[in-house]
Amino acid sequence: MAGEVLVVAEQVNSQVANVTLELLGEGKKLARKLGSPLSCFVIGHNMEAAVDAVIKAGAEKVYLADHAELAEYKTLHYRRVILDELSSWATPPHTLLMGSTTTGRDLAPRIAAFFETGLTADTIELDIGPYEHTSGIDQTKIGYFPECLYASRPSFGESLKARILGPWKDPQMATIRPGVFAKPEMLTEKPEGVEIKKVAINFQPSDYRITIKETLREIEGKIDITAADVIVAGGYGLGSADGVNLLKDLAACFENSVVGASRKIVDLGWMTYPYQVGQTGKTVRPKIYIACGISGALQHRVGMQKSELIIAINRDPDAPIFSFADQGIVGDVYHVIPEMIKQLQEKNTSKLAELKVK
Amino acid sequence: MNKDLDIYVLIKQVPDTRSKAGVNPDGTIDRAKAGKMLNPFDAFALQAGLNAKKMGGPNSRLFAVTMGPPPAIDILYQALEHGADATCILSDRRLAASDTLATAYALCRTLEYLFKKNGKKADLIFCGLQTTDGDTAQVGPEISERLDFTQVTYCEDFSISDNLLHAKKIIEGGTQLVSAELPALVTIANSYTKLKFKSLRGAQFVQDVKRASKEEQAKYVEIIDLDKCEADEMRCGLNGSPTIVSKTWKIGVVGGNCKMHQGKAASELVSEVFKDAIMLKEFVKI
Repeated sequence: MAGEVLVVAEQVNSQVANVTLELLGEGKKLARKLGSPLSCFVIGHNMEAAVDAVIKAGAEKVYLADHAELAEYKTLHYRRVILDELSSWATPPHTLLMGSTTTGRDLAPRIAAFFETGLTADTIELDIGPYEHTSGIDQTKIGYFPECLYASRPSFGESLKARILGPWKDPQMATIRPGVFAKPEMLTEKPEGVEIKKVAINFQPSDYRITIKETLREIEGKIDITAADVIVAGGYGLGSADGVNLLKDLAACFENSVVGASRKIVDLGWMTYPYQVGQTGKTVRPKIYIACGISGALQHRVGMQKSELIIAINRDPDAPIFSFADQGIVGDVYHVIPEMIKQLQEKNTSKLAELKVK
Repeated sequence: MNKDLDIYVLIKQVPDTRSKAGVNPDGTIDRAKAGKMLNPFDAFALQAGLNAKKMGGPNSRLFAVTMGPPPAIDILYQALEHGADATCILSDRRLAASDTLATAYALCRTLEYLFKKNGKKADLIFCGLQTTDGDTAQVGPEISERLDFTQVTYCEDFSISDNLLHAKKIIEGGTQLVSAELPALVTIANSYTKLKFKSLRGAQFVQDVKRASKEEQAKYVEIIDLDKCEADEMRCGLNGSPTIVSKTWKIGVVGGNCKMHQGKAASELVSEVFKDAIMLKEFVKI
């Protein structure tokens, strides 16, 4: 029988991250296909509520490492509890999933390197399916594998999606961006009989080589672009960093709105990483996405194509963004955005008038 | 005064997608025709290496290391122009189709070869956050695991005192200040200081190296293969990669129902869109 489908949970202040719940939802589908249990590795301190949450999200078995030293994520401490536990298993997990967050991207490669196993980054689709390996210098790899983890991701700069798999060694690992999968429906009652295994914690002196001096999360919320209803995002077509002010002005016309950025302008330093939308930034699904001077490369598209309404402004009528936007304006952002702001403010006045009548 | 530091920067040559060259009409890339450049993220790592060298003692050294086909030597020359003391490329046909695990293994062998040759293990290894062609951000931490180094990813700024790296790093929803014992592997975020312009002296130096004899050149740009760094070929390239790409497919045009507005004054275009996009109204701030 195939091993478990294991989701390594992420937490901040003992609260389970959304990406973990999303992975449990998707992981359940994989587990059913394999006929394996869906398990969740919860690491942190004072994690009772977190354990409840992952069970309500579908975890059928929980591995719990609860220790004061684990309250904040630390590479070497978290690595230690996961490796110690997994190394003691007779059958490794079939699949191991983590969020493709700053934490997951720090930890997952260390786990993969330790077990000498494959790891697919920034996956956008997961499935279980067969694979037949027919040739190659390494004869030991040849064979038919009925149950591989399929992890698909866009191939850079190419309008291609690639399916990556590696059935030769378990755990088959993948990281997945927050927001790629929908959150599962949470059970209202905790089901009976879910095993919670407290894992052994044996930190080594070498685990203390990294220490946290200070954690600053006061900007949290303000720049969580995934929670916004309206995102006004800018790309290289803005022409310069000054264009960002224009985005802000337009965003200010909307409730619960925020500005976003394409990777290119983050690389150029016009905006910072937390605002980046796309394959290597955030995956967002707002009600309204206004793309200003964004060409719409696949990298960007995978991060925002689930937005309810996409309005694109671009000078180039052949820009790829127009192939998947809902409303397209061919024009200069410096003409179109100020006009939008003007008309929205007029709308605003009329909306006020409406309210006054009521 | 800090001790002398041996600093390594891992860099990669990637296709230059800023130019149109090598981009097929259907959006796929012809890697043979496409221009090449230093991975933009690695430029930040190189600057970090240069800054770290200044923080170390007077005999600190900066090495740039890459893996790839021979043309990737260009980026090593670039590193020399900016102030690297010596560079090395691992180039071998048997490395083709390496995934991140196999890449990390091969680079580890290269690093260990260099540690031996230079008489000292690295104090610091800098990597870019990720590459623009693979986008995985995995190779750095995979190397760190193999070498049993401490690790700081998403580093935005740092200083060094005694045997400690003090770093500011990006975490989910904020930043964190951490101290990591050396030796450490650090991946540099693109919010770090931009790579400064190469110096005239650096450019002149590289010109001299390029004109020098092969033996002289090898002092600054060493070319090694798997045998030289004693790497097991079964752990490299396609053989050593636990993952393969089993299938690729074109992502079709999604929707394709975009309503286009063009050829009119901006005011008209905008009012057309606002008329069509009724739901906008709900979100307009009062």
